[in-house]
Amino acid sequence: MATKDEILEALADYQVQCNNNQRLRRMQRDWSKLIHFNSEDTGDWFTMDVVKGEITAFEPGARGVPDIIVTTLSENLCDMFWGDLNPSQKYLDGEIKVKASQEDVMRLDAITMIIWPDV
Amino acid sequence: MTTLRKVLKLRTVVSSSAGMALATSSYIAALQIAAIVAGELAWISVLVAGVCCLLAAMCFSELTSQYPTAAGIKLFIQNAWGEKIAIIIGMFYVVLGISMVGAESFVLSKVMTDSITIVNPEVDRAIWLSVFILFVAFINYRGVKIAGTAEDIMTFAMLALLAVISVYTISKAGVDLKAAVASDKFTVANVLNAAGLGVFLYVGFEWVTPLAEETTDYRMIGKGMLIAIGVLCIVYALFSVAVWVGLTPEQRLSGTPIPHILLGRNLFGTPGVLFFVCMSVLASVTSFNAGLLNTSRFTYAMARDNVLPKVFSKLHPDHATPWVSILALVAFALVLSIVILVTGQYLFIIMIAAALECFIYVVMAACVLRLRKKFPDRQTDFRVPLGPVLPVVTGAIFLGLLLGIFAGVTADHTGRVLFPNYWVALVMILFFLLCTLYTLLVVPVFKKKAAEKAATRVKRRPGRSRDAAQGG
Repeated sequence: MATKDEILEALADYQVQCNNNQRLRRMQRDWSKLIHFNSEDTGDWFTMDVVKGEITAFEPGARGVPDIIVTTLSENLCDMFWGDLNPSQKYLDGEIKVKASQEDVMRLDAITMIIWPDV
Repeated sequence: MTTLRKVLKLRTVVSSSAGMALATSSYIAALQIAAIVAGELAWISVLVAGVCCLLAAMCFSELTSQYPTAAGIKLFIQNAWGEKIAIIIGMFYVVLGISMVGAESFVLSKVMTDSITIVNPEVDRAIWLSVFILFVAFINYRGVKIAGTAEDIMTFAMLALLAVISVYTISKAGVDLKAAVASDKFTVANVLNAAGLGVFLYVGFEWVTPLAEETTDYRMIGKGMLIAIGVLCIVYALFSVAVWVGLTPEQRLSGTPIPHILLGRNLFGTPGVLFFVCMSVLASVTSFNAGLLNTSRFTYAMARDNVLPKVFSKLHPDHATPWVSILALVAFALVLSIVILVTGQYLFIIMIAAALECFIYVVMAACVLRLRKKFPDRQTDFRVPLGPVLPVVTGAIFLGLLLGIFAGVTADHTGRVLFPNYWVALVMILFFLLCTLYTLLVVPVFKKKAAEKAATRVKRRPGRSRDAAQGG
């Protein structure tokens, strides 16, 4: 089980990786979303702001009305943000649940695929 | 519980479900049904098929309420029978399903050729067919989306207009029920045979299940499917009778693939033709567009899961669309459409689509029973009533319809046999075997390679060793 601090640390790295990747920024340039991540085993919530493909902020807690809600185990969240997990596989196995449009689900997965293509 | 900023309304779920089923090839299927049963009684087979699809929709509803995800069908089967069977059936269903484009593009190209001449009928058909497929490919490639409201309006307008025109035709031409009942074509066997084909009219209603993640209440998907089938039942029942009574006996016997255009001409002359041309284009584009959108996303996900070659997971750098998947599927659809154009065997594809739907409904009914047994304590928002009775009945009905299709023959309107349907069975079995061989022989190679790659990859998460690298 990953703690809230571990997930926040992973999120910080995820933000740097995303924002420094020019290919990803170009692809997601028209993608602005408020995303909630729910760690179902610890009950923690996290909020992430994506503005024109850039992660502008993240914080603990569920703020605002989201466009996307991702629910999974804390370990999966942590591994996903560190780029150690293929979100598509977990999604297809039903371990990661996403409430969003199909396009947003794919764009979320694309972040991992672009930054860590070998995952 | 947190909710989403943008959630789908029941109206959109209904229009998506009905919109997928409402295609240009539905018109020819409606006439085909009328030809099997005694014309004016075609509605009986349409309703029988609709009721059967309602049962299947209930099974989908129960499964969706347990696994409300876009990965739906694969996940239902995977949890019931394991990953390998899920991959085999998933690929079989999705890839064979795209073959529908062959029939749809053939009929649409016939519609356009009969209305507008560019060079000559043969060349024009190839042009229209290519234009249709490439146009849909382009909007998918560019990631252009038809706005939900626009799609709602288009679908409901098409349904309403089809119902109004059908009622008008029936009231104008009149219906001789007594003669139809007395006809030697009106037999239980013919009604059921036509109902098997009638399933084709509803093809695709279940493709609304991937929208579960965009709703606030998963039960809305089930409710939406049931309403959509109900509406389609009424509209198709009316249209199947209208197209029969609205055509002349010569037109019925001509084996035309564009009965709706002839009907439009008989009713209103050129404006009637133009009206049905517009209906055809709208119906075909919306159906194929939604089909390609779903199928390309499925292919992308399969590639990301190391089931298909990695190249299918490539995303367009500007539009974020799975362009390789889209192009591959479009190439497949184009080749198939040209084969249909050359051979003219569009009914073969229609029979495949009807059989494929029957097959997947049998699988879904079996999944409901299996998952109930496997996870008896699982709570679901929706459960098919009457315990195992309805899922068993659903499975039995569609298995019967499937076998009925395979055992029958496809004939034109004069009764001339075009092909025995065991060819349909043979093609489907061959394709199923291909999917099975691929899953058993090729997928393990991809999975092994991915696992080896993952094993050598250093984990980035602090405190995680190389050995613990993520597998599969």
